[in-house]
Amino acid sequence: MLKYILKRLGYMILTLFIVASITFFMMKLMPGTPFSNQDKLSAAQLKIMNEQYGLNKPIWQQYLIYLGNLLHGDFGTSFQFSNQPVLSLITSRLKPSLLIGSQAMIIGSLLGILLGAVAAINKNNWIDSLATFVSIVGISVPSFVLGVLLQFFIAFKWHMFPIAGFDNWQASVLPSLALAVSPLAQTARFMRTEMVDVLNSDYIELSKAKGNTRWQTVVKHTLRNSLIPVITILGPLTANILTGSLVVENIFSIPGIGEQFVKSIMTNDYPTIMGLTIFYALMFMVMLLITDILYSLIDPRIRLTNDKEEN
Amino acid sequence: MKFNKLLAVGATILFSAGALAGCGGSSSAKAPADTVRVMSKDVIATMDTSTNTDTIGSQAASNTMEGLYRYEGKDIKPGIATKVVKPSADGLTYTFPLRKTSWSNGDPVTANDFVYAWRRTVDPKTKSQYAYIYEGIANAKEISEGKKPVDSLGVKAIDKHTLQVTLDQPIPYFNELLTSSFYFPQNQKTVDKWGKKYGTNSKTLVFNGPYKLINWNGPDNTWTEVKNDKYWNAKNVKVKKLQYQVVKDPSTALNLYQSNKLDDIVISGDTAKQMRGSKGFNSRQMNSTFYIEMNQKKQPVFKNEKIRQAIALSIDRPQLTKQILGDGSTPANSVTPKDMSFDPSNKSKDFVDETSASGNKYTKYDPKKAKKLWKQGLAETGNNGKKFNFVLLSDDTDAAKKQSEFLQNQLEKLPGMKVTLSNVPFKTRLSRSTSGDFDMVVTAWNADFPDPINFLTLLTSNASYNRGGWSNSQFDSLVDKSMGADANNPQARWQDMKDAQNILNDQQGVVPLYQLGEAHMTQTRVKNLEISPNGSYNMVSLRIHNK
Repeated sequence: MLKYILKRLGYMILTLFIVASITFFMMKLMPGTPFSNQDKLSAAQLKIMNEQYGLNKPIWQQYLIYLGNLLHGDFGTSFQFSNQPVLSLITSRLKPSLLIGSQAMIIGSLLGILLGAVAAINKNNWIDSLATFVSIVGISVPSFVLGVLLQFFIAFKWHMFPIAGFDNWQASVLPSLALAVSPLAQTARFMRTEMVDVLNSDYIELSKAKGNTRWQTVVKHTLRNSLIPVITILGPLTANILTGSLVVENIFSIPGIGEQFVKSIMTNDYPTIMGLTIFYALMFMVMLLITDILYSLIDPRIRLTNDKEEN
Repeated sequence: MKFNKLLAVGATILFSAGALAGCGGSSSAKAPADTVRVMSKDVIATMDTSTNTDTIGSQAASNTMEGLYRYEGKDIKPGIATKVVKPSADGLTYTFPLRKTSWSNGDPVTANDFVYAWRRTVDPKTKSQYAYIYEGIANAKEISEGKKPVDSLGVKAIDKHTLQVTLDQPIPYFNELLTSSFYFPQNQKTVDKWGKKYGTNSKTLVFNGPYKLINWNGPDNTWTEVKNDKYWNAKNVKVKKLQYQVVKDPSTALNLYQSNKLDDIVISGDTAKQMRGSKGFNSRQMNSTFYIEMNQKKQPVFKNEKIRQAIALSIDRPQLTKQILGDGSTPANSVTPKDMSFDPSNKSKDFVDETSASGNKYTKYDPKKAKKLWKQGLAETGNNGKKFNFVLLSDDTDAAKKQSEFLQNQLEKLPGMKVTLSNVPFKTRLSRSTSGDFDMVVTAWNADFPDPINFLTLLTSNASYNRGGWSNSQFDSLVDKSMGADANNPQARWQDMKDAQNILNDQQGVVPLYQLGEAHMTQTRVKNLEISPNGSYNMVSLRIHNK
């Protein structure tokens, strides 16, 4: 297991290097400059600014300098926020995004699994139809529409939660709920399909024949076996939430990271683009690693290393 | 069915937890008596006045720092300078007596704080994007281009409380310039202590203005400003606290406003249209105009003034600003914005009103006259009955797209005119404008300082911003005269600029569309939240009238 994780970490570093390199060169192809008032700078002034930031050097040189700094843990300073280190920009704006994102994932996946399971057990009766209806609505209604509705009714009309801001934990509830709906619906659908399959398998029959109650059968055999495919989608779903929280963060005025990423690209803020791309790539890979490890914990048939008979 | 029961119990627990948590969040929303809560459209990017580039940063600086002057309404009033200074007879030397006052750390504010800050801004090492604002002060341009040493800048501390500034050439609007945050002083001890970190969070700052910034950690969505008792004019600062909150979504802003969580919000788009005319709605004019440039190099037909006048006449500006934009923008009859600059001898005479006779000639919607001039223009240029297909270049924001569609619809009423829309990202629009890759482009200019010359110099024959290529020698010489021969004669200079503006209006060298407005909702308890000609609010005059 440890060997496997180390190997995966090695691949991760390699992948990060490739991602960083490709992003660096693609980013330099974008038109414009990182200077917010570029329309007011004359050619001479632009030249001086470029010299000061080392942007006049050939791109391969800039690339090597960047990589060199990166190895020392220096992500550079932002252009939008003058002199603000990219690393502190990311860490300070990441916390709210992480809190909301992880709350959304926990609420979404747990309720989704529950909903899917209930639907599968009650296959083809009204509870199943209701659950299917809920998940279809969840998939079709975008999180920002739900966000606006939650804000208007729950916060504005009924004063149950703050309208916007990030002053306390309560403020994170509505944005988390808005973001939770998509993973909820997706996991519910996966769970239902998978569980219906599992419920039809022979070992379930056997379990019933052994005299186990329905409840025992579900918990001991069905749930665990149905979870494997569900875990597969949790990784990508988490990444989706973290990168796609921008609109919901704007609706609830959450000082999150989603918007900074978009803004850094719009403003050619090179160090921030690089920092956030590397960060997102890392996060995605860690999520994949975690799901792979979870597989082996849930299903002993799946081996992470090929030191046994299986490949 | 045990499982379902469990589910029911689980759901109940979840919901009641939610309801309980909610109890803390609800409130009857009574506004704090001594605090004004303002929405900000974005975060503060930096508090370092040398490297700041945006209005949010300038506003935060105006609230917490004091320069030589401060705008009060439309008038320039002494700040750290004890009076509004007149230059020497040649217009090149300004000597400012400074008042004795201190920074929030107790250090005295001295002439050297200005010398230090200004040198730091023009120093190429500081990487200030606005160093060019200093051009005109002796040697500023050469220093910022790395050709002269920083200490050759034309600013000198005669003694602790006397500052002297020397210019390369007279700058008639120099006093207006000095109100801007780029000319604020800096406490050398503090800047040296924090180095690169200066201005990146509130701990690295000292203040000499009406408020002190607290609880700001850089890219935060909220920040607080509390009254600075060491401010020289503290007795006139009546509001104890300013609370800023970044809100990007107009409907969120409205919800916060209507729940009495914010005192002043900016709204746009549909939210603005919906609130127009309701209690608390007001719109504020920015020093920013939108206009169409017509590329004479690519489409020689635009060289004909009747063609340009016809284009100007075929646009219904009130409909554009009310129905299409709805954000508080107002129809413009001039590239120079209204409510920005005034006759030096009579503050009630607005530059734009003074030139409105020529301005209104071609900017009042008149499709009949437009068609007539269009036909005449085509005949004069030998293009009778010819069909034209023009590309209209503009930004790709929602508002810009709607605006382009509207302009297309209006302009295509001219016989033989077809308009193709090209809505591109801002940076692409800029690079295509510069390289001349357009037939018509919707351009905007935001004043760097409140003086008409800022707009007129955009359109002289050799100006790099004159991408359409309109050229008029009389206009050029009037602009030159206002900056040269008449620079020291405010009245003659004013006349030169008016004459130049009239030529531009008559010729429609560019076609003005509208002056950018900002629609606001403001609680009635808040008074005197007024924008100054330099684009910042003067919070010294802010008042709260609690019922």
